[in-house]
Amino acid sequence: MFKNAQVAYLVRESFAGFHRRKLTTGVTILIMGSALLVLAMLTLVTLNMGNMLEKARAGIDMRVFLHEGLDSRQMAELQPRLVIIPGVQNVAWISPETALAQFKEGLGEDAGILDMLDSNPLPASYHLTLTPGARNLKAVEAIREEIAVWGEVSEILFNQGWIDALESWTFRFQMASLVVSLIVFLAAVFVISNTVKLTMAASARVIQIQKLVGATNTFIRIPYLAEGMIQGMLAGILAMGLLGLAGWFLDGRLGGVIFFSVQQIFGFILFCIVLGLTGSFAAMRKYLTMQSEI
Amino acid sequence: MKSDNDRTGQLSEGPLDSRTVIGFYHVDLAYDDQKAVDNVSFTVANGEFLCITGPSGAGKSSILRLIAMDAFPTRGEVMVRGMMSSKMSRRKVPMLRREIGFVFQDFRLLEDRSVEDNISFVQLVVGIPHAQIVKNNMRVLTQVGLYDKRHRLPRQLSGGEQQRVAIARAMVNSPKILLADEPTGNLDPVNAQEIIDLLFRINDAGTSVLFSTHDHGIVKTFGQRVMVINQGRIESDEKRRVPVNRKANLADKMYIAAARKDRLNV
Repeated sequence: MFKNAQVAYLVRESFAGFHRRKLTTGVTILIMGSALLVLAMLTLVTLNMGNMLEKARAGIDMRVFLHEGLDSRQMAELQPRLVIIPGVQNVAWISPETALAQFKEGLGEDAGILDMLDSNPLPASYHLTLTPGARNLKAVEAIREEIAVWGEVSEILFNQGWIDALESWTFRFQMASLVVSLIVFLAAVFVISNTVKLTMAASARVIQIQKLVGATNTFIRIPYLAEGMIQGMLAGILAMGLLGLAGWFLDGRLGGVIFFSVQQIFGFILFCIVLGLTGSFAAMRKYLTMQSEI
Repeated sequence: MKSDNDRTGQLSEGPLDSRTVIGFYHVDLAYDDQKAVDNVSFTVANGEFLCITGPSGAGKSSILRLIAMDAFPTRGEVMVRGMMSSKMSRRKVPMLRREIGFVFQDFRLLEDRSVEDNISFVQLVVGIPHAQIVKNNMRVLTQVGLYDKRHRLPRQLSGGEQQRVAIARAMVNSPKILLADEPTGNLDPVNAQEIIDLLFRINDAGTSVLFSTHDHGIVKTFGQRVMVINQGRIESDEKRRVPVNRKANLADKMYIAAARKDRLNV
């Protein structure tokens, strides 16, 4: 496709722009890096919020209360039946005595009021914890319906308000993240595209001469596409570096905050390279078709 | 209903003089509704020197744009080195451009690169190896008399010298056609005459030259074919019999001999 001398020229030119336009390249990387930093921050917040929501979801559980008068064998037989229900992760037996002790603990200083009772009014129950996939309203309802028809079960309780709130917040958060990510993404493409257009406008004469002497559009494009990719990569590294620095600085104050994994960092930089390539390509496509050479 | 291409097909497919390097056949070129070229027909033979003259806005540059296939006719057919405008795809245009050299009024040199780098640049683009580029630079810069100034930046040269660099750049890839669009427009009479002499020397060595100018004073000195354009139409197209101010001097003869020895079109 290209001769060796042309390939050597293209490689040289891909990096020559950084040397020829030190200041503008620096400013471009800084602007791109800022847009990408916002995107990275948003991604990190989404990641942490998602993690927090997942932890909150771990609090979704069910209490299955049993009728009085069941003997211990009947109660014990329920456990294996509960365990095999899809979505149930763990089943814990809570005797009336354990339930009373937990109740007393919950009352704290007012626990003395329970001493007035002649007998323990609390029934035996099973405490069900759920698998991560079943920590939503639909799955919890399905489990409840399956257990409710059993004759040994008197009542089933679960924290519906908590689940409802969590579902609602998760949805709102996902929508907000999506909208903001889209806006920031478009802003980043716009910034990259515009900076490449400026670079090309500054190189208008070079491009014009290239076209006059018979350079193909592909040949003209390659150094600018490569430059866009390199700028995207450097801006991505800058954004990750700044975010990492901020994370390191705030680490003591924001305990438990998770940062990107090594794979995620490489993924983000790869994304920035593609972003630089896309921005350059979009800018060049318009520019090369608009230009008249003579 | 026949398309423009169908109508002009007869012309483009007709027998062409093998010496014809450029042919215009009933060509129109319109920008929006404004006709810049109106039913223009002419041919240029291999090695011919054609001066196109006329007032500003007459359509001279549009004709050069059509030859470079930077613009395509809205009617009619343009043929350049056997390539027809109606059958030309955008992808093939760069191949055609490699057969044409361009010189402009405003020189269009890369201001941040030396004389030598300006000339190397157009060779790098078409993939000429480094060793050959060094030889070619020496050759063309010697021929335009600027080898000693090869390390200078364009702004360190006079207007005439800058135009000579532009000509050296246009000729270094040995094109078969040279299009010079008002090359003397920014030069004083002495420098303008030097540039014209250089273009004649290039033509004497076999390259077809199209020289556009609005300066009637320059045209009067020509003993070559002169085509007058006005409002997009050819007003006259005549070949003068007696060169008025053109005689090959000893320097010219030496130059041509050197160029021919190099098997170049310069």
